[in-house]
Amino acid sequence: MKRIVPPMVVLTVILGGWYALAYSLDNNFASGDGSALIVPPPHRLFVGLNDPTLDRIVSATWISLSAALVGFAIATLVGIVLGVAMAFSRAIESALWPWLIAVQVTPIIVLTPIIIRVVGGTFGARVMVTVLIAFFPVAANTLFGIRSVSTPLHDLFTLAGATRLTRLVRLQLPAASPTIFAGLRIASGLAVIGAIVGDFFFTRGTPGLGRLITFFFQDTRSGPMFVTALVASVIGLAFFLVIAGLRRLLISPWHRP
Amino acid sequence: MAITTRTVVHVDGISHTFGGALALGPLTFAVHPSEIVAVVGPSGCGKTPLVRISAGLLEPTSGAAIHSDRRPGSVGYVFQEPALLAWRRVADNARLFVTRRDEPIVERLLRVSGLADHAAKWPHQLSGGMKMRLALVRSLAASPDLLLMDEPFGALDQITRHRLHDELLSLHVDQRFGAVLVTHAIDEAVYLADRILVMSGAPGRIVEEFAVPFAGRRTNELRYSPPFAELCGTIAASLGRHA
Repeated sequence: MKRIVPPMVVLTVILGGWYALAYSLDNNFASGDGSALIVPPPHRLFVGLNDPTLDRIVSATWISLSAALVGFAIATLVGIVLGVAMAFSRAIESALWPWLIAVQVTPIIVLTPIIIRVVGGTFGARVMVTVLIAFFPVAANTLFGIRSVSTPLHDLFTLAGATRLTRLVRLQLPAASPTIFAGLRIASGLAVIGAIVGDFFFTRGTPGLGRLITFFFQDTRSGPMFVTALVASVIGLAFFLVIAGLRRLLISPWHRP
Repeated sequence: MAITTRTVVHVDGISHTFGGALALGPLTFAVHPSEIVAVVGPSGCGKTPLVRISAGLLEPTSGAAIHSDRRPGSVGYVFQEPALLAWRRVADNARLFVTRRDEPIVERLLRVSGLADHAAKWPHQLSGGMKMRLALVRSLAASPDLLLMDEPFGALDQITRHRLHDELLSLHVDQRFGAVLVTHAIDEAVYLADRILVMSGAPGRIVEEFAVPFAGRRTNELRYSPPFAELCGTIAASLGRHA
């Protein structure tokens, strides 16, 4: 009960605020059919959601979801490999770290048009945008997780004559895994944001969720626009929950922060 | 206890500087097979660097620690903290570095240390004493020739500490490893060791050596005997003179 009540209270506040906003905005409802133009009230969210619109949302969901999934998987791999490489060598760290930060702080809306220009408006380009926005927290957390392994544990492996690979696989990666999972949790949200924000720039082919939101906005179809945004949120939430579930399965039994 | 001229480690004229200042040594001592040598000294005299140098984990500024056996696993180390792998269950921590051939040794050590019933637990589910027991088991599982202990019982309550002393001694009877025990507690040194080295304040040097005369199996009654108290007093006086 204690776990359910607080979020329900927040949900009630959000819905109340939503209704207040919908009915307080000037010219929010069309004078003819009374359809919402900017913010639909929650109970009218699905008005105007006909079959063709639903089909468009489903195909856009598939495009954004697959870009986010593939991008997240690659970002995880790239992030862990970069983190391990930097943890193993100060030279690699000092060579790469400033550039990784530079990529991280450069707005993705600056990079996306360049990527599209170079790679083309392909699925690969969508994935690349997602990877660029999502890999950094994984790389940084892998690096700091590996560096945080205590000296006595390293000493144990030194006394046992462990190779670098043994040390990495049996000590450093498991010890860093709670930190890596924290990075994955952030990256999972960023991957979805990357897939959707990057999509604004993909003007050819079947639109993803980002471009579909733009279409519905331009057509003043606020109901479908909000539903599309809701789908994007659900995908983000699903990513987050999958990572949280994996963490609970793999890390929580033994990890006490 | 039969002491042979063979040594498991010969710490030969080592010294260690820290931040440009001499922090330890020069000092020399040897540990013979199946001998427990305790090192007592004031805080900051360089006991931990001494153990790390003895293990080969720290390069001395001069001198050397010469081991009779350089194979991996020939030196066991029990740290001030248990240093367990949190993601491995108790049994898996115990068999961290052992081969399949050593599996019976692990089983026996877990049984002797009373951890067999907790083999499937995670380290965070153990008490402080059990964690230290597990660290001891892990260090002995690879049948080391030399066991180095750096104040391993310092964080434990007295009852647990005394219980672990007896467990250590019974494991020692079983495995006959040579050992160096660094400790602040004089009574611990006298109860466990065959020989006690007293170190001076920084830079730590060995200033006096005491043979512990108690033959046979040591039991808790020994702690309350006059000769035990007398030896503790003598060592405390020595420490006081050289601190």
